[in-house]
Amino acid sequence: MIRLTVDGRERSWDASPGDTLLDVLRREGVVGVKKGCGSGDCGACTVLLNGRAVNACLVLAARTNGDSVITIEGIADGERLHPVQEAFLDVGAIQCGYCTPGMVLSAVGLLSRNPSPSEAEIREAISGNLCRCTGYVKQVEAIQLAAARMRGES
Amino acid sequence: MGVHQVERIVRPTSREEAWEIREREASASRFLAGGVDLVLYAPPSVTTLIDLSGLGLDGVREEGDEVVLGAMATLSEVLESEIVRDVAGGFLSTVLRRVASPLQRNAATIGGAVVRAHPWSDVVPALLVLDARLDAFDGRERSLDVADSSPRGESLPPLVLAVRLPGAARRRRASFEKFARVGFDVSVLNCACSARVEGGVCRDVRVAIGGTPSLARRLPGVEQMLEGRALDPDRIASAGRQGSEEIDARDDRRATADYRRRLADVGLRRCLASWQELKGRRVR
Repeated sequence: MIRLTVDGRERSWDASPGDTLLDVLRREGVVGVKKGCGSGDCGACTVLLNGRAVNACLVLAARTNGDSVITIEGIADGERLHPVQEAFLDVGAIQCGYCTPGMVLSAVGLLSRNPSPSEAEIREAISGNLCRCTGYVKQVEAIQLAAARMRGES
Repeated sequence: MGVHQVERIVRPTSREEAWEIREREASASRFLAGGVDLVLYAPPSVTTLIDLSGLGLDGVREEGDEVVLGAMATLSEVLESEIVRDVAGGFLSTVLRRVASPLQRNAATIGGAVVRAHPWSDVVPALLVLDARLDAFDGRERSLDVADSSPRGESLPPLVLAVRLPGAARRRRASFEKFARVGFDVSVLNCACSARVEGGVCRDVRVAIGGTPSLARRLPGVEQMLEGRALDPDRIASAGRQGSEEIDARDDRRATADYRRRLADVGLRRCLASWQELKGRRVR
């Protein structure tokens, strides 16, 4: 049994010692967290663990006891999307969408620590999130737009 | 390979307790730090993980003139540390920024990187040229060379508690080159160099190359060639050639031995030229 806070709600879930955080999240219905490679290469399973973006497929669930996990399902404010989500829609930074939850969370993690990232810093922050549809130009533009909006500049 | 066969995770509260479990369980156990490597590569025999998060091995701190990186400090914590940025002109921060992806660096630990010591490791050559030592425990406290953390024969590898950078590392000039296919891919080859540069003369030179595809090791021939000398384009070129001959280059799926020798030459020349501020002269 592990106890953790997921998207602001306290949870108590069964977890085997060998379960990853990704295994448990998806088993418990938090399927906004995507499973891609299962080996930390693609970033589809990115979540914020205590505010830091990590590959949920590389984190043992048992190690998250008492931790805070934020997934793509927990960043909107009710019906109002997070500024990063809004910017991804406005810029058209989504094609098939499979990488989007992870990409958005990497961006949210970056902007929480660095409200004015350079393009290079944005590209570094999402370097662990692979998009096989579009390339990365639109995503970078979307994160720049979200950053400007969050600073109240746009 | 992986962790689905794991039956229990224990969380000792002292290094003595951790080591006692490790000895008792031997091949059925592993120490668990960030877990990134274990999740992917734990052998099928491993059924017990010994969680080190209760041992107080976190964080980066100064002890006198030395810098101590707790074994459980993540690579991100180390590279963002103001203390670490003050060592050798931010050399270690620069290196770590090129290791894996930010997602992995937020989970992987410096202790895990040293203990796992993949042949392509960028962390190991960087620590070698800083003369880093390891605080370790195998029933008693030990201070080990970075190269001594891996298993030898039948004996268990020690519990690594911290990576210790000597005060002299702060004042070193250091540089790093990595060759990889894309951003956060593993190195086809990497080079790290450091020295005290006084009046243009190199002292206490350290040169290490990794991913040959063997684990990084120091290159005494190159170090001797540079020791007590001033850098000039001819000496830098000679050092590159010496390095390319001195490495144990072999073929693997990532590159041929010949290509690696060429990379060693270019990498060393780039590292050394950066000290000479010959950046305007692109090293090819």
